[in-house]
Amino acid sequence: MKADRQGMSIRVKNAFTGWSFILIAVLMIAAFYFYPMIQALILSFKTGRGANLSFTGWSNYERLLTDKTFFTALKNTFIYLIIQVPIMIILALFISVLLNDSKLKFRGFFRTAIFLPCVTSLVAYSVVFKYLFGTNGLINTMLMKLSIIGTPIEWITDPFWAKITIIIAITWRWTGYNMIFYLSALQNIDNSIYEAARIDGASSFKQFFKITIPMLKPIILFTSITSTIGTLQLFDEVLNITKGGPGNATLSISQYIYNLSFKYTADFGYAATVSYSIVLIIVALSLIQFRVAGDRK
Amino acid sequence: MKKVMVLLLACMVLLTACSSGSNNKEQTASGGEGDSKTKEITIWAWDPKFNIAALNIAKEAYNAKHPDVKVNIVEFAQADIIQKMNTGLNSGTTKGLPNIVLIEDYRAQGFLQAYPDSFSDLTGKIKPADFAEYKIGPTSYNGKQYGVPFDSGVAGLYVRKDYIEQAGYKLDDLKDMDWKQYIEMGKKVKEKTGKDIITLDPNDLGILRMMIQSAGSWYLKEDGKTPDLAGNAALKEAFSLYKEMMEANIVKANADWSQFIASINNGDVATVPTGNWITPSVKAESSQSGKWAIMPMPKLPTTPNSVHATNLGGSSWYVMNIPGSDTAADFLAETFGSDADLYQKLLTDVGAIGTLKSASQGEAYSKPDEFFGGEKTVSNFAKWTAEIPKVNYGISTYAIEDILVVEMQNFLNGKSLDQALNDAQAQAEAQIK
Repeated sequence: MKADRQGMSIRVKNAFTGWSFILIAVLMIAAFYFYPMIQALILSFKTGRGANLSFTGWSNYERLLTDKTFFTALKNTFIYLIIQVPIMIILALFISVLLNDSKLKFRGFFRTAIFLPCVTSLVAYSVVFKYLFGTNGLINTMLMKLSIIGTPIEWITDPFWAKITIIIAITWRWTGYNMIFYLSALQNIDNSIYEAARIDGASSFKQFFKITIPMLKPIILFTSITSTIGTLQLFDEVLNITKGGPGNATLSISQYIYNLSFKYTADFGYAATVSYSIVLIIVALSLIQFRVAGDRK
Repeated sequence: MKKVMVLLLACMVLLTACSSGSNNKEQTASGGEGDSKTKEITIWAWDPKFNIAALNIAKEAYNAKHPDVKVNIVEFAQADIIQKMNTGLNSGTTKGLPNIVLIEDYRAQGFLQAYPDSFSDLTGKIKPADFAEYKIGPTSYNGKQYGVPFDSGVAGLYVRKDYIEQAGYKLDDLKDMDWKQYIEMGKKVKEKTGKDIITLDPNDLGILRMMIQSAGSWYLKEDGKTPDLAGNAALKEAFSLYKEMMEANIVKANADWSQFIASINNGDVATVPTGNWITPSVKAESSQSGKWAIMPMPKLPTTPNSVHATNLGGSSWYVMNIPGSDTAADFLAETFGSDADLYQKLLTDVGAIGTLKSASQGEAYSKPDEFFGGEKTVSNFAKWTAEIPKVNYGISTYAIEDILVVEMQNFLNGKSLDQALNDAQAQAEAQIK
């Protein structure tokens, strides 16, 4: 009887010690992640200007469904997503396979050069891009000198070209980031598989599509999910290069949230509603991507 | 076990520290007697060449009489001030907020209505009648005067004399011009000099705001709440003129402030219709001295009430309802609120045109400016200031403008004008409740 009780208390004590180790982390996460998330959800049911908020139920969500600007932002963000993410993933795959070639000289240099963009500051590179793509910017000057174009392209002030500029900017910055994942994954593929394939007479293309891509599948899934999330949260580039213009042609959802909170008369309730729409979209897209590409258990 | 308790306690402290923000509301509302003794105040403003420079002069003048008061002047970009104010006021903590803050007139009503009780009523400290009439609308709310009107934002047409002379015009031709004639002039200037008449940012409809305010019209009806887009004659005319200007190929596009300034200083454009706050930036290119002139703004050709005076931007000072509010109100009342001599100094040293009526009689206001061909530019501006039609900016200038920017693009791409404005009206009504 006595022994039994002591056993209990040791188990309790052990559990307590265990929990106390992670207590700080748990409390911190609760305070800085879950508390704001729940507060934001509550906020999304309130409307009003600034601090005069009152609880109005679903009205913000109803407004969301009739809000043209929101749908423009959603459409723009999906255009970025559908065009930019595949380009970037394919480009990153291609570059990483090239740079994984052991016969290539200056591999380290090339790897660093391609990875470097993603350690630059978001704002700094956006500002540089804005000037590169200005009407009198370097890109236009170069294209004119090479006689590729006759009149300067309005990269920033034309609705179509502004989108292209944003896509070029985010591709430039994030390709190297994804490439690093592929490089490390490629190095985990046993070289003997390729040797066997070569002995069997498989061409480089066949090796790439039949060995490399299937072996990289989990990483491709991972990078496409993180890139999707990143694109849905796109903010700095759009704000700094085009300010969402011309005429909302490049507005992203995150920038719309910023505008609702800070550019217009503060409407935090509705801004929170728009934020939650991103959460829902990300969850849905990630589930689809898992279904399509993930291993079914 | 002791360690665990310590850990728990530490976490409790941390959590209470996180949540203490919400308890500070009492402070915001009270601003009681004990607080008024605070002798240190902090002021936030943007633009080092204009507002900050003006503040430094005011601080000097005030400290000469009240050496015991410490005035801290902090410079932030306007967007940062808005963000900090919104997050601070909304979280319920006033810690870290300034005693005095500069707010743009277009945004003032938004702040006053969204955060009632956060700003001090200055009704007894300054006399609204001492200031230009059109500044009182944005700075007062519910019959109380909250802001000390400052920067006038009065607009003029900055003109490159040499370009328009090459195109066969004389300065006098520009004195009583409407926007239709302005576009004609633009075509001639382009033909003769190859220069564009104007530079515009497609995301910024400032020119539209100037056009409609010259006719006493705004995006909202006089109540400051009901969108007035669909049936707004002045706005309709402004839209058509904007399109005409675009299609005449006399507009140089710019994407931001620095490109805007660059086109002015590089001599890429023949005119710049904008607020008087551009003067220091135009003058920054000293090699162009004597080539510029400032003319009255063109008016709308067919809208009957349109005058040659309008406004772009402009801002005013506000006192926040936190400890130190009495000192802050006193500072404003003695400097920007009444000191006509201070405004003379502001003008000679900074080039800042205020809106205190009594200041415009001073000597500095009638001084000729060699850069602008020896014209008395400031007394001209002061004269136009008195003619600016009063409108109620309401709380949604920038929200509506974002809707209009889109409809403007649609209109330029062939959508009918009535349809574009009707759609804008419907969207604005859904958004502004």
